[in-house]
Amino acid sequence: MSITLVQVIVSGLLLGAVYALFSSGLTLIWGMMNVVNFAHGDFVMLGMYAAVMVWTALGGGPFAAVPVAAMLIATLGVASYFLLVRHIMRGPMLAQILGTFGLALFLRYAAFWTFGADFKTLPDTLIGGSFILGGIRFEGSRVLAGVMGLAITLVLHLILTRTAIGSRMLAVSEDATAAQLMGIRPQRMQALAWGMAGAATGIAGALIANFFYTSPTVGETLAILAFVTVSFGGFGSVLGALVAGLIIGVVESLSAYLVGPVYKDVIVYILFVLVLWFRPQGLMGKT
Amino acid sequence: MKRFVIPGALGVLVLAYPLLTADSPVYQRLGALVLLAAIGASAWNIVGGYAGQVSVGHAVFFGFGAYSSVVVYTHLGWPPIAGAPIGMVLSVAVAAVIGVPTLRLSGHYFSMATIAVAELVRVLSSTSEFLGGAQGLGGPAMPRTVFDLSFISAAPFYYIFLGVLAFLLWLTWRMENGRIGFYLRAIKDSERAARSLGVSAGRYKLYAYMMSGAFTALAGSLYLCMFGFVDPESGFGILISVKMVVMAALGGAGQLFGPLVGALILVPLEELSNSYLGGRGAGLTFVVYGAIIVIIARFLPSGLLSLFERRPARQPKSDVARGHAD
Amino acid sequence: MLIDAKNVTKAFGAFKAVDDASVSVEEGDILGLIGPNGAGKSTFFNCLTGDLPVTSGTVIFNGADVTRLPPEARAALGLARTFQVPLTFESMSVLDNATIGALLRHHNAREARAKARDVLQRVGLGHLVDAPAKSLGTPGRKRLEIARALASEPKALLLDEAMAGLTPTEVHEAIELVRRIHGGGITVVIVEHIMEVIVSLARRVMVFHQGREIARGTPREVTSNQAVIEAYLGRRRVQHGAHL
Repeated sequence: MSITLVQVIVSGLLLGAVYALFSSGLTLIWGMMNVVNFAHGDFVMLGMYAAVMVWTALGGGPFAAVPVAAMLIATLGVASYFLLVRHIMRGPMLAQILGTFGLALFLRYAAFWTFGADFKTLPDTLIGGSFILGGIRFEGSRVLAGVMGLAITLVLHLILTRTAIGSRMLAVSEDATAAQLMGIRPQRMQALAWGMAGAATGIAGALIANFFYTSPTVGETLAILAFVTVSFGGFGSVLGALVAGLIIGVVESLSAYLVGPVYKDVIVYILFVLVLWFRPQGLMGKT
Repeated sequence: MKRFVIPGALGVLVLAYPLLTADSPVYQRLGALVLLAAIGASAWNIVGGYAGQVSVGHAVFFGFGAYSSVVVYTHLGWPPIAGAPIGMVLSVAVAAVIGVPTLRLSGHYFSMATIAVAELVRVLSSTSEFLGGAQGLGGPAMPRTVFDLSFISAAPFYYIFLGVLAFLLWLTWRMENGRIGFYLRAIKDSERAARSLGVSAGRYKLYAYMMSGAFTALAGSLYLCMFGFVDPESGFGILISVKMVVMAALGGAGQLFGPLVGALILVPLEELSNSYLGGRGAGLTFVVYGAIIVIIARFLPSGLLSLFERRPARQPKSDVARGHAD
Repeated sequence: MLIDAKNVTKAFGAFKAVDDASVSVEEGDILGLIGPNGAGKSTFFNCLTGDLPVTSGTVIFNGADVTRLPPEARAALGLARTFQVPLTFESMSVLDNATIGALLRHHNAREARAKARDVLQRVGLGHLVDAPAKSLGTPGRKRLEIARALASEPKALLLDEAMAGLTPTEVHEAIELVRRIHGGGITVVIVEHIMEVIVSLARRVMVFHQGREIARGTPREVTSNQAVIEAYLGRRRVQHGAHL
């Protein structure tokens, strides 16, 4: 295997870990309350802008931006839950889809209006350039993003499966009424889920901002990436999102390398449609 | 006789509108735009409202219609309107191809699949030389015959759109009150129960999807005739899909005049907002749009027309009906 | 033989919910399917209606092999069913609900409506035709489901725990209704928990336990069958009329 190909795969894995991170938020919400957040991509986008703003305003690097983005988007998530999602969850499908879609439009164009349509980037001297290991070139920012993405996704998974509060959240997702009878407050758990998902998503955005162009419209493509990852990994499964994210990252990277950047989106969309048609429950999801 | 006074007056108003606004091209154009949007939204309503399959990717049909029209002009020299039947037939075929595997999916999955397909088509169209790539294609700059439909005034467009909308609504009304309408409502309420009563849910959903696609394509062709230009974003963009859904939902999805009511509110809102706010204001328009969508979803999921629905008279208690509280 | 199911097995992975079950129902018969929870009777029922595809075996209905046919096709052939948890069309009126059933045989909406009205009358819901379906309580909904199914003019009516959630009075009324339906020439298959219903209604009974048939015969034969008693209660005797 040529060095370039290995390079492509490695950068795909690193990026995939970040995809896994922001997809884990989406899958958590989806699994817990059967709501698809069509505004998810725009949550990531706002996380990216948060990072850019922090850098511009304070000069702090991504280290400063990550907690800010996490808190900001976590707040956005919780607010979305209380103001909107909680009310549309039990309603007709049309209202559910419209609700989060409207939120997406609102956030996207609010970003347009506030920041303008131009791209913004963080300078890549922020994190120490790059280094060579075993003949492969690693960019510092991407390595850090990949490692953090992986770590935080695993933390999220562990919180859900090994802590008391995690099992309470899972109880609510299985059967909210039964959970209530056991003294758990579903609304609190759901709000917490939105907060956690928001935090994970915000962090992912802050990480991506280091090497992606930040503009109001990135949400659209990122949303589809998140949907593919979640569908592939199985809705509700953070671990599934992790595995799927890594795979999607590699697929995307290989596609860009083999057929060019424009068609790489096409490959992802086709993959998405195929997954939906042939295995909607994904690799590890509940059927 | 009295029942017909108000509808009659409205009818006259609708027919005379271009004449009443003859001095104001802006308002004339607005009228035509409302009707065009209503056609698209009413077409969506067939599958999204009546059949309950919320497609957020209807732009794929709209774009097919618009591009069919501009392509027959650019590559064959035909009047763009000749592309309309081609676009409609293509859309029915596309609907069948997408519909068969996708309509099997439930709720969110279906919506996501429709978004993905539309986005796929959009990206592919921007890479196609035949379709003018990312720049798109333009229709006739100068009208060659009357069939080119490049009118300076919006009035002829108004009447053409009115005719098409009336026809579409009439078809929808016939469907609504016939066997298909009943079956679609049953499928929307409980597909499983419908099937147990002999309803081929898959088939009916597909028919609704195909009919919806065909008329959306027609709206696309008419759009091309009026605007004279289409590119991947204005043909297949997600905003087109979302607008169709929102207009129908605002007025009332699954109601005959719901999409028209929605168009009557949202189209002027968008046009006036754009012209008063200009440039950066265009972003603000959609901020408001998004906010409106959220508000509808939150407070008025059944749309505006549901506010006017008469409540059914209280039913007498019966020995059979009252058992367990549900 | 109206319904003839042979060697039906339904497996979910390694777990066999129904294991090699066979049943034949003559036209005009009333068959009861009983068994403790999880015995496989509902799964078998859903294999008969087409809601679940069988893993192996065949289902013949009215001479036609329906094993691979979806529920709507079986309904068209005359196989109607109700649901354990009523699935009435909540956005519609009682009349419209029944009309959906009638539309199977009467393609004209007006004719179908008239037929539906007639069926609702005979079933005892005539005074509620314009009521919204969601205003009905559970017994009303169950009765509506039956009316809706009858409107499709079936040869066989399969009732899935139609008595669950009804008070004793309501159960009596329902038994009366099913008797009248059967008297009108419709073959009936009921899945039931309540012994009283089975004993009063069914001519023949099939007992399920852990996916297999463990007994068949008349209600009396079956309730005194040792294996049946053990399946339900361990080693205690079953009281006649007790709710199992």
